[in-house]
Amino acid sequence: MSVLKPKRFPYGTPIHGTKLSKNSPTETIPAPKRVYISLSQHIGAPALPVVNVGDRVKKGTLIAEASGAISANLYSSVSGVVSDICDIVNGLNQRQKYIIIDNDFADEEEFLPTLSDFEPQTLVERIRLAGIVGLGGAGFPTAAKLTPKTKLDTLIINGAECEPYLTCDDRLMRERTQEIYKGIKYVARALKVDRVIIGIERNKPQAIEAFSEFNDVDVVSLKKQYPMGSEKHLIYVTTGRKVPVGKMPFDVLCCVQNIKTVLAAFNAIENNIPLTEAYITVSGRGIKEPKNLRVPVGTPYSELIEYCGGKADDTIKVIAGGPMMGKALTNLNMYVRKADSGLLCLKNSETSTANPTNCINCGMCARFCPMRLMPMYIESYALHGNFGEAERYGAMNCIECGLCAYNCPAKRALVQSITLAKSKIREMKNGK
Amino acid sequence: MENNLVYSSSPHIKAPRSTRQIMIDVCIALLPATLAGIIFFGAYAALLVALAVIFAVIGEFVYLLIVGKPFREIAKNFDFSSVVTGLLIGLTIGTNYPWYAPIFGSMFAVIAVKMLFGGTGKNVVNPAITGRVFIFISFQWAVGAWALPNIGSIYGDTVITSATAVPTVAEGVVPKIRLLDMFLGTGMQGCIGETCKIALIIGGIYLAARRIINILYPTICIAVAGIMTVAIGGFDFALFLPAVLSGGLVLGAIFMATDYVTTPNTKLGNIIYFIALGILTAVLRYATKMETVSFAILLMNLTVPLIDKFIIQKPFGHFKVKKTKGEK
Repeated sequence: MSVLKPKRFPYGTPIHGTKLSKNSPTETIPAPKRVYISLSQHIGAPALPVVNVGDRVKKGTLIAEASGAISANLYSSVSGVVSDICDIVNGLNQRQKYIIIDNDFADEEEFLPTLSDFEPQTLVERIRLAGIVGLGGAGFPTAAKLTPKTKLDTLIINGAECEPYLTCDDRLMRERTQEIYKGIKYVARALKVDRVIIGIERNKPQAIEAFSEFNDVDVVSLKKQYPMGSEKHLIYVTTGRKVPVGKMPFDVLCCVQNIKTVLAAFNAIENNIPLTEAYITVSGRGIKEPKNLRVPVGTPYSELIEYCGGKADDTIKVIAGGPMMGKALTNLNMYVRKADSGLLCLKNSETSTANPTNCINCGMCARFCPMRLMPMYIESYALHGNFGEAERYGAMNCIECGLCAYNCPAKRALVQSITLAKSKIREMKNGK
Repeated sequence: MENNLVYSSSPHIKAPRSTRQIMIDVCIALLPATLAGIIFFGAYAALLVALAVIFAVIGEFVYLLIVGKPFREIAKNFDFSSVVTGLLIGLTIGTNYPWYAPIFGSMFAVIAVKMLFGGTGKNVVNPAITGRVFIFISFQWAVGAWALPNIGSIYGDTVITSATAVPTVAEGVVPKIRLLDMFLGTGMQGCIGETCKIALIIGGIYLAARRIINILYPTICIAVAGIMTVAIGGFDFALFLPAVLSGGLVLGAIFMATDYVTTPNTKLGNIIYFIALGILTAVLRYATKMETVSFAILLMNLTVPLIDKFIIQKPFGHFKVKKTKGEK
């Protein structure tokens, strides 16, 4: 089918930043000696371990079970022996419970049972069983998203990948088009929707071309305009529907899924493989050879960096995720999670370390804000502790895309203040 | 544990533009007008502008030294906003002012209007405008006759267009002036930087091209002021161009009214602000028979908090909420 044009969205802005690893094919890295699998790789309650120290596990053995509706199963990503289950403070300063597995390099695999039929219910159940979560970064359990209260009419596949540097989705769309296409069909079947739209930014012409072959998928070539990968904005530019304030995509009868999520769904349904690997772009000028990697969940970040030729000595920031929304690491004690999509080593010349100065009221933050908020007021109220007023200015609608702080000439940490306001408002509401 | 990693919140990349960069761009945009002023009004004009700039910068440094900031830190954080202030003050006084006028004006503008309120970004009114008004009011006793420009009218005769075009236009009399003269600043009396409109417009286009100002806003302001003058003068459209090109309207609209700090934060707010500014300029010109752009901007600056209080962007998806509520 022909490539469709997106609806015009006048806010947001193109951002500089290069896709260094655009032309390097996805590589599978050798399995590490030891994997560290976090029990909180998704939004919601941590998974509960079902193995004990000393147990022998295969690749694909269930090691932790979902502990509620919003939670996800975890599978071992290597074959070996569980050497420890303990709390680790990781590079993001989060104390999380980890299952540590020593690899015995026997490479034994365990599969999920073969599906007897492909009814929507069965498919959703399989996606839940395989521990699939939203792989765009949020890690929301996919099965919960596929069981909406109302009947939806559109499935939107997010191939925008609007963050600079990240290219793993782009590579997957080019290299594994057929598998992703089949995955899309399965997810559409699970959702019982007919219309499928896939949004891809124009800086990925090969991916757009690859998907324009299929007759039953509409490809929308998105403008290179951050943040097109945001759920609400993707829905607006592809369907013209606005998600109302405080509502979810299913309120406008849409469901958005990431490229990697549908690929994982395909593997779980057709190949009976649970989700045990992540696709991750290792990039930044601090990395010798930027690459797109296919890695077992739980691989230490340091091994990824080593595989890509090591990091330069003048790397000043290591980031988990993209440069706009990713989180800086305090140290390299960090292990690959399911929803990871980027690991960046930035040099001083790429990243900004300028000190904030006074707000000069230029209004850039409000002009570019894709949620049409006024970050300068929210920031000012948040810094003065007036969180009620910050809420009145719509702090809770912030999607933390980072565009306000990106454009701020005074280099103010707007996102940080707004995030603070959001957590304080949430606290206030829970307190009442 | 590696301690050499920087730990900060997202986003980790930022646009290259900084406050200092913006201020330097404004200075660059003012260069054509400054050069034109110096060519038209000679060395004394250069002296006035230089004094205004130097003392604006000195004012900022002296204030910061008094409040106890180390010199090195002041120099490191210097954002060139006081250079812009000084330059604008220098350009908005005539060569008929005594040499010490810009010194007092710049010091007053930077120290009393900007630094006492907390520095760049915290001032309530535009320091350059306030400095200009301060000079205008305080040094009336020392003002001589308007100086003649070095370059006469391009029409060749000796008729000098005076700054008094403003009151005559305001009264509804089409003045006997040459529009081309008004545009180029040849044979025009007036303040150093305001006579050569073409230089100002080049500066405005530079700022718009650098995306520092939205060219829509000054255009609105200038057009509304012209139309309002036409309306007051009984719809004589011959008044439009003289009203637009006389006095400091172009300079004020492009460089002073667009100051980030003292304009509203929203697009709608800005449109309201600039329309009101245009109307106020024309009405005040008619009522006082004086050049009133700076007073109009000063008054409008004070309304900005009010505009910002009431005009707020609605979040993305806001209107839908109302509709769905109505349907239910």
